[in-house]
Amino acid sequence: MNTEALDVTAMQQDLARSGAVIELFNKFGESLFTIQITADEIPTLWVSRAHSYGVLNFLRNNINQPYLLLYDLTAIDERHRDHREGQPSSEFTVLYHLISPSRNDDIRIKVALDDADLVLSTVSTLWRSANWYEREVWDMFGIVFEGHPNLHRILMPSTWKGHPLRKEHPCRATEMEDFNLTDEWVEEEQEALRFDPEKWGIETDTGKDTDYMYLNLGPNHPSAHGAFRVMMQLEGEEIINSVAEIGFHHRGAEKIGERQSWHSYIPYTDRVDYVAGVMNNLPYVLSLEKMAGIVVPERAKVIRIMLCELSRIMSHLLFYGTFAQDLGQMSPVLYMFIDREKGYKIIEAITGGRQHPSWFRIGGVAQDLPRGWDKMVAEFVDYLPKRLDHYNDMVMRNSIVKQRSKGLGSFTTEEGWDWAATGPMLRATGCDWDIRKKRPYAGYDQFEFEVPEGVNGDIYDRCAVRVEEMRQSIRIIKQCLDNMPEGPYKADHRLTTPPPKELAMQDIETLIQHFTTVTWGPVIPPGECVVPIEATKGMNGYYLISDGSTSSYRTRIRTPSFAHLQMVPFMGNGLMIADLIAIIASIDFVMADVDR
Amino acid sequence: MEWSLDKVQKGAQPRVNDSPAAAEAVEKNVLMGKVEDWVAWGQANSLWPYNFGISCCYVEFASSLMPDYDLARFGAEVIRATPRQADFMVIAGTVFRKMAPVVQRLYDQMLEPKWVISMGSCANSGGLYDVYSVVQGVDKFLPVDIYMQGCPPSPNSFHHAFTLLQEIVASERRSASWIVGPEGVQKIARKSQRETMREKRLDIVELRSPDEV
Ligand code: SF4
Repeated sequence: MNTEALDVTAMQQDLARSGAVIELFNKFGESLFTIQITADEIPTLWVSRAHSYGVLNFLRNNINQPYLLLYDLTAIDERHRDHREGQPSSEFTVLYHLISPSRNDDIRIKVALDDADLVLSTVSTLWRSANWYEREVWDMFGIVFEGHPNLHRILMPSTWKGHPLRKEHPCRATEMEDFNLTDEWVEEEQEALRFDPEKWGIETDTGKDTDYMYLNLGPNHPSAHGAFRVMMQLEGEEIINSVAEIGFHHRGAEKIGERQSWHSYIPYTDRVDYVAGVMNNLPYVLSLEKMAGIVVPERAKVIRIMLCELSRIMSHLLFYGTFAQDLGQMSPVLYMFIDREKGYKIIEAITGGRQHPSWFRIGGVAQDLPRGWDKMVAEFVDYLPKRLDHYNDMVMRNSIVKQRSKGLGSFTTEEGWDWAATGPMLRATGCDWDIRKKRPYAGYDQFEFEVPEGVNGDIYDRCAVRVEEMRQSIRIIKQCLDNMPEGPYKADHRLTTPPPKELAMQDIETLIQHFTTVTWGPVIPPGECVVPIEATKGMNGYYLISDGSTSSYRTRIRTPSFAHLQMVPFMGNGLMIADLIAIIASIDFVMADVDR
Repeated sequence: MEWSLDKVQKGAQPRVNDSPAAAEAVEKNVLMGKVEDWVAWGQANSLWPYNFGISCCYVEFASSLMPDYDLARFGAEVIRATPRQADFMVIAGTVFRKMAPVVQRLYDQMLEPKWVISMGSCANSGGLYDVYSVVQGVDKFLPVDIYMQGCPPSPNSFHHAFTLLQEIVASERRSASWIVGPEGVQKIARKSQRETMREKRLDIVELRSPDEV
């Protein structure tokens, strides 16, 4: 016990010595902060509500190498939590996870609130991306952000009662009143969906003798790529103002995390970015493994990387085809789905699944590679580059595609950070922020690949970056193929799930251990952790809080699409409706990745 | 069906041309049947799907239209972007509460006759998502003709479901007018696939090992 306590103090001192924390202490005085130790070793500082804005403002604007990226903003309902050692008392905690790109460094700021007084000042003036994040926190927890320009519900219908991520809100539909769809209810809900420009602070007076036209695109529109809608204020074909509304795809994935066992939550992760298959499992299991201290064997690491890169290709191909289709090309998508089927053949041979393999496990993968996998993969990596050359002629060099995508919907790297853009969206602006390179996780440091960048940050460049990424993924898969290590496919650790069967039959202790891990699921030691990854669409991470039980206390899924979709009005205003369609296609979002 | 364009004269012999050539010509060129049968046959073989998807299942629905699977083989490649032109709707995905009024409205906008396929566990029953924001099955508010299991069902099983729908469309009868017969759809009682396929499934005793591709 004593040595542990010593370790903690040593770690705290380490953190206290690290860059930004020192600067904060110098600026505001050490007494203002409480340091919390987290499993991911990200400096986590508690600060009082009165000082939070000042501290965040300092980190955003005044510090050297500022924290430009508001990676995440969310809250925790702490009222039922047992393990809060060393943390200030709090009923609801709002947390800000910030990243400084130039330092390549993270910091987490936490603010404690009382249930009776859930008010905090907005930071949407510091980071534009905070707008939606704060609305989400309001919707899910009922925390009010003072000064927020339009603090409306974002995920739930505006008619909803209650805040789902509060612990007293029921999780299951079957625990709630039976769903009954009546004509009156449909009318009421439809009425609530009616677009009211004034509610969004949109000026309706044209100042001329004319009126604006209002057009509602979605929530079911063939070129909207999912259930969401954009409400537009138009003058002719030109978009004067627009508002994106989401929440039509909210599946309560974060709440479900609080009821599933750690292991049985894995299938839910697949369904977040539902075109990226096992890529979704990775940030979740990485975060758990870090908390549990599991070291994954080399073979499992390389298998994971191979499948993740394959998933990236699958996702990008889908993007590529539908993107071309939205710009008016009917045939590319037909070709690309043929390639996707070839990819699915491999995924199916290895995992048994197609779209949702749910195949990674805490401590490894579900099973070893089947005999003959290498031949299939070799054929695929040989086949795809030629097809990509062909598509280059078909799509990227097509003059209509160029006219419709060059110089449109562009933004700068600075603006990208401000809107929390990551992934190809950000790299298209000429920025090399790829965390596979910047902070290699899961064994990416062992691979050679380039990070493709764009120049103009426009629609065309976003597509070009993804096309090049597919080639890099092929390169990584080739390296996996040539250098697949021998050895076990899951870790020899007591929290590996399901535990290696060989360990079960040694004595009664190991048998009991095996039995409980299989039936109840593993108990992850108390702690907090997030391991962001470079997913197909940008930075994806599972911020998990374990309270020392068989399921999570809080599961926070930070997804790239949520941040990106928020940029639609920013990119689209002032352009034509047809450009908006191209912009929407170029974001490459998936609604489940937005609404979760 | 017994009628003729000639005036029937009592006691008159029907004019019969019994040359083999005439018999052959009739055989080759004349088809007879009830109007409703022909309509059903036509409908079953040119079903136009409504291009509608809510979540993950839609990706597999889209795959089933693509060259490898090719829904066009069944005469159903004309996907429509508006419900008003479509014959059937595939509820491909999770039915969210926030989306339910929209789904209802889109369904209402489809013209009769119309059919609904519930694709995947979510649309069937809520599936994995027994959660506050999800309706536990689209049949809580829409009549469903075909349920497909799977999360997501593969494009192959979509085709299976589609051919079953074709059977339904071909075998159901809607009278051309209330003057001729009872109004509405005459549903045919159908066996579940579980029963139909039982024998075949029981025959499968060996499954391929996952250790080999
Ligand atoms: S059934 Fe499965 S694949 Fe289909 S929408 Fe639901 S979660 Fe997605």
